[in-house]
Amino acid sequence: MIADLGFFALVIAFGVSIYAAVAAWYGNRVDEPRWVESGRNAVILVFPLVALSAGTIIMSLLNNDFSIEYVWRVSSIDMPTYLKVTSLWGGQAGSLLFWNLLLALFAAVVMMRKWRVDREFMPYVIIVISMTQVFFLGISAFIENPFTRMTVIPPDGNGLNPLLRHPGMIIHPPMLYLGFVGFVIPYSFAMAALLTNKLDDRWIRTTRRWTLVAWLFLSLGLILGGRWAYDVLGWGGYWAWDPVENASLMPWLAGTAFLHSVMIQEKRNMFKMWNMFLIVMTYCLVILGTFVVRSGVISSVHSFAQSAIGPFFFAFIVIMFLFSAYWMTKRREDLATENQINSFLSREAAFLYNNFLIMAILAVVFLFTYYPIFSELFTGEKGFVGAPVYEQATAPLFAALLLLMGVAPLTMWYKTSAKRLEMSLLWPAVATTVIVGVIFALGIRYWAALLGMWIVIFSLILTLIEFWKGTRARMKRGENVLTAYGHLLSRNRRRYGGYWIHIGVLVMAFGIIGTEVFQQQTQLNLQNGESLTMGNYEMVFNGVERFPGPDDLLITEADVDVFYNGRFVKNLNPRTELYTRTGQPMTIPAARSTISEDFYVLLVNWEPTSSTEATFRVYVNPLINWVWAGGLIFVIGTLIAAWPDPRKEKVAEAKRERMALGVGD
Amino acid sequence: MADTSWTNTGEEALLDKSKSNRWKFIVGGLLLVAAIGYLVVNAMSGSTQLYKTVDEFYAQQARLIGRDLRVSGYVIGDTVEYTQIDAANSRLEFDIVDNPAAPGQRLHIVVLNEPVPDLLQDHAQALVEGSADGNGVFTANPGGLFLKCPTRYEEMEYEGEGQPAVQPADY
Repeated sequence: MIADLGFFALVIAFGVSIYAAVAAWYGNRVDEPRWVESGRNAVILVFPLVALSAGTIIMSLLNNDFSIEYVWRVSSIDMPTYLKVTSLWGGQAGSLLFWNLLLALFAAVVMMRKWRVDREFMPYVIIVISMTQVFFLGISAFIENPFTRMTVIPPDGNGLNPLLRHPGMIIHPPMLYLGFVGFVIPYSFAMAALLTNKLDDRWIRTTRRWTLVAWLFLSLGLILGGRWAYDVLGWGGYWAWDPVENASLMPWLAGTAFLHSVMIQEKRNMFKMWNMFLIVMTYCLVILGTFVVRSGVISSVHSFAQSAIGPFFFAFIVIMFLFSAYWMTKRREDLATENQINSFLSREAAFLYNNFLIMAILAVVFLFTYYPIFSELFTGEKGFVGAPVYEQATAPLFAALLLLMGVAPLTMWYKTSAKRLEMSLLWPAVATTVIVGVIFALGIRYWAALLGMWIVIFSLILTLIEFWKGTRARMKRGENVLTAYGHLLSRNRRRYGGYWIHIGVLVMAFGIIGTEVFQQQTQLNLQNGESLTMGNYEMVFNGVERFPGPDDLLITEADVDVFYNGRFVKNLNPRTELYTRTGQPMTIPAARSTISEDFYVLLVNWEPTSSTEATFRVYVNPLINWVWAGGLIFVIGTLIAAWPDPRKEKVAEAKRERMALGVGD
Repeated sequence: MADTSWTNTGEEALLDKSKSNRWKFIVGGLLLVAAIGYLVVNAMSGSTQLYKTVDEFYAQQARLIGRDLRVSGYVIGDTVEYTQIDAANSRLEFDIVDNPAAPGQRLHIVVLNEPVPDLLQDHAQALVEGSADGNGVFTANPGGLFLKCPTRYEEMEYEGEGQPAVQPADY
């Protein structure tokens, strides 16, 4: 049986991972590189084994083999082929197997790279990665087994939850998982550096791209998740501070702090302990996030320990944390820094503020997310923190971070003259004030929004000036604007890619301020031909049709005309789709999108008995498309920063090699 | 002082400076931590909710009337009722229980002027923010009804004999 083959492959992969860790440990202990090499091959072998296992699940999904419980749960005969394939991560057991597959892929790629330079790290990297794999493969094979059989073979399956049949939801879990597993790699190198006591910044340089790629995927996962919520969940929003969302945001925050603070270590050889701490924290938050995302322990009233896999995850996180903490304590003297921050107005100080703010946001989100657990522990009564509390507590911190985003790039290493900084801030501040004055004159009186917009515009102007300064310097050498700008980016990918990421965040922030502060909504029941008015919009209801769709769908579709300032702008068809077999409805919003706002309509209710009336819920979401545009800029910026530069690769490798030989900079 | 000192005074001055800098950073850091503590306490004061199951709610009902709560329970599918009162007003009602397999006490939830969420299905886990009156009717805050993430969906149990766990709707 094909399922037996898959399960067998999974169990072998589990055994091979144990072997990899033991072989690497033994080889290192007795100084026999053959054993380490064998461990390395074992790590590589895990990937085809897990791939085989995942392949059998996909085969079973495609063959409608409902003797496998997982296939019955997430698939059905008439589901389109692409959905059957993606159902691999449509449910709990399958998605954990998929998690394992991605981790095995990353691990295999790391193992197949050239190890000429960092060879002494290898045994420890193998041990750390393999321990993580042993844990997750163990859970997959023995606790949440996707190959469990049905006692009675049903004729058809449940089908994938309709809410998950959205492109955003098909891509979102893989992105998030890639981000999660990606951070295992820098963590394993950090541990290797710690255990070998090679505590210069080589582990950081070696894993810089891994970290950036992991971070990119995690960012994409978060953005796509928001887009899915906006398109599918029908509440006109994209972020709800739900514990599951927070569980992915927290490792992202820790990773963001890490990406920034490693630059101080590279430049000034400071913050070694802190960087170690950040990557350990990121890793622990990744494991915790994987658990929370999968089990929903916090949103259910059942406590952590009551979930079947809860104690295992908890134990694993504690073990990994104690292991890391032990070695950090043991190496504390080697992690100490002689260098000091000389000035409050220096680049290193700016990075310190950045880290402080991000950590503060992380701490607040952590406290609020796990407040049900903490409050029960301390007061005996479970409490809960809702979205408005998150917003109120984190908004000032985010605002400070956005301001820093614009100002920090103007500072210099060691010390910046206050006079100079003032000079470069003055005119942008004046320009920003003028722009915000115009916004005020246009009728916006909400002071928090005006302040937020001031900060965003100010930082945006400062960042654009940085681009202009760099480009102009190159143009003086006789290059035209485009060439100069292109060279600026390609010669300093990390720096200017980073600035593009900042621009993306600022554009998103602008959109977030717009939607958070100025969203309008209403719900109204209309008769055929009646209309509702909201702001400058008028919506006329023309009627409803009900007709069968593909599969088992029954579609109810309304027809409305949207007028803006009395002028017809668009015909919209908000609808509901009912999956008749499971009785699961799905509300599909329709929107008229412009750069300034979305007019977003939901068909809330329509009774076939009184077919001349229907209820609509309507939202005006100002600046929502800035959120998505900012997300796109953010991703492009990350790609610029992470894109390999063959010339620099060689230099960097030579540098790492010198460091490995102890020659230093 | 000059006669006892043999260290390079310039270096000493530098050390002193870095020491005073360190103190500045520590004091500044503590002030910032205090500021963040204030932000958190200020945001949370009066805005956190008590989180109760249905049975817990009934056990402490007298004490909980009128307070901002978040209750959690499983939806009884055939109690879901949506009424359009007039053009601008609608009422959604349903009952939740702690354990759908062994239903105990039911809590009656009323949600005003909100759409029926797609996930409001039999056995779905509902989280409702709102408050209860003396008659045991729990009224949700605006936007206060949440249904648990769709992955819940796969937790339906197969009821055997080639019968789907959920019957097709009557259309």
